[in-house]
Amino acid sequence: MASVTLSDVKKSYGKAAVIHGIDVDIADGEFVVLVGPSGCGKSTLLHMLAGLETITDGTIAIGDDVVNDLEPKDRDIAMVFQNYALYPHMTVAANMGFSLEHRRVAKDTIAERVKWAAGILGLEPYLDRFPRQLSGGQRQRVAMGRAIVRDPKVFLFDEPLSNLDAKLRVVMRGEIKALHQRLKTTTVYVTHDQVEAMTMADKIVVLSGGRIEQVGAPLELYDRPANQFVAGFIGSPSMNFIPGQVGASGFEADGVTLPCPAGTPIGTKAIYGVRPEHFTLSPDGIKAEILIVEPMGSETQVTMKLGQTSVIGLFRERVAGMPGETIGITIDPAKTHLFDAVNGQRLG
Amino acid sequence: MKTDLSPRIKVIVYGLMTVLLIPFVFPTWWMVTSSVKPISDIFAFPPDIFPRRFDFSTYGRVFELQPFAQQYWNSAYIAALVTAGTMMFSSMAGYAFARIRFPFANTLFMIVLIGLLIPAEVTIVPLFQMFLGWGMINTHWPLVLIPIFGAPSVFATFVMRQFFIALPKELEEAARVDGLGRFKIFWTIALPLARPALGAVAIFTFLHSWNLYLEPIVFLSSPENFTLPQALTQFTDAYGGALWNVQLAAATMTALPVLIVFIIAQRQFVEGLAHSGLKG
Repeated sequence: MASVTLSDVKKSYGKAAVIHGIDVDIADGEFVVLVGPSGCGKSTLLHMLAGLETITDGTIAIGDDVVNDLEPKDRDIAMVFQNYALYPHMTVAANMGFSLEHRRVAKDTIAERVKWAAGILGLEPYLDRFPRQLSGGQRQRVAMGRAIVRDPKVFLFDEPLSNLDAKLRVVMRGEIKALHQRLKTTTVYVTHDQVEAMTMADKIVVLSGGRIEQVGAPLELYDRPANQFVAGFIGSPSMNFIPGQVGASGFEADGVTLPCPAGTPIGTKAIYGVRPEHFTLSPDGIKAEILIVEPMGSETQVTMKLGQTSVIGLFRERVAGMPGETIGITIDPAKTHLFDAVNGQRLG
Repeated sequence: MKTDLSPRIKVIVYGLMTVLLIPFVFPTWWMVTSSVKPISDIFAFPPDIFPRRFDFSTYGRVFELQPFAQQYWNSAYIAALVTAGTMMFSSMAGYAFARIRFPFANTLFMIVLIGLLIPAEVTIVPLFQMFLGWGMINTHWPLVLIPIFGAPSVFATFVMRQFFIALPKELEEAARVDGLGRFKIFWTIALPLARPALGAVAIFTFLHSWNLYLEPIVFLSSPENFTLPQALTQFTDAYGGALWNVQLAAATMTALPVLIVFIIAQRQFVEGLAHSGLKG
């Protein structure tokens, strides 16, 4: 196990810069998730950390060693790929033991390590099978097994669950988390799925356009997003944004006044942010016109018109209203956010 | 073929297929049956589709008139060397063109492909001069070296490149993380996965070498050095007239390994070409 430090890491392909100076400190044993939309540079960053891509500038250190110029094999890392990357012509056992065999580890030791990893991942009955004879979830486990047999300093996961169906994804998410809790190996995990990021990470790094938008614990990002991008990216359904300005009696949007936290100077042009789950039904509250009602069983998602802006509300209660009718809602000012109308940065 | 065709359509389709089969099967049938006929029966009119008399002594005479066993061995070992050499070089070249980023890789590949456009007849005289200079005339070296570094290998390189391009990049990345260098990745990961394409290359190359005719007649002059296609022209009587039944017996023996190889491996051959993006 080891800490990982990225200092001012940059990457360019010719004149096109894709990573613009990333600084991240990952503590020993920490589970860090790099999250962001497609093309934000998260996979490139992981590949640079693995040594599969060169870095243009900056330093990457694993433990006390700067690994900029080291080959992947010399970095003591193990990686799990999006499409598993299992060797199709080798059995599960051969796949898992391949790196050890290549490092001329004794056969007995390899067999022991493979058995140990297979035991942890429930792969013992499949050791003699070929990858083509396994289901998606089993292949994913083999890919993880191949990583853990080596007992590396750092695990790298590159969107490992994106090829699985929704149900299996939830199961494997739990298994990866459990594996981390058991092995306590430093882990860097890339995903574009913010739910994965929220549920698995000790620390989330939100990336956009090759830059870090915010680094923090999952709930910290949820409760106090640093900017409008993070606010919109973390949470599902996304936070609602309403443009307007701070007035004497609240936030004045087009056709409606909303409660907002104190402290922001009156007259400030801003974007008002409120999460769908932070609306509460109240007959005496602010009036909103129902546009769409989507009952989901455990909760009801309502698209409604607040002033002139369409917003989404998520209610634990069942909403009986029909499109065109009006409902009353309230908002806890402590759970609202204000962002600068120009640069999107958090106000207050 | 669809199985839901009506019986009448089926009869028409199968009947048509049978008719179309005749021009492909008849020459082989004629070759095999004529090889066991007395020479007078070959020219009988109307022709005998099935032999009336059998004369298996033709097969013995093949070995009396020519050092046929030696010629068989020549063809076999030359084809084996050419196949092994082409598989080795084309797989390495194909992998390099598909996977290694180096300056002008695509331009170089285009230049290599242009080699396919040059007919063997155009290069045969300069090649003769070259091998004459190297003292390799009337040896088997030209028959081994020309296919390995010539047009057949270019085609094989193309087939292998197309296969390696389609191989997921993550497999190589996983191998790099597992500690393998470039050659080991090629040898232990890429090459074993390329078996369908290698199979196609092997069959294609073997057939090409086995059937090679122009190069042997240019480079070889002694019967003990001849390969089979060249030897087939040598079964004549004292006046230069063809001993057709003996010649067809030799042709049958010549065609046999090719037929066996193709029957066994035709599926792999078609699959390999399909992998390359080519239509078989």
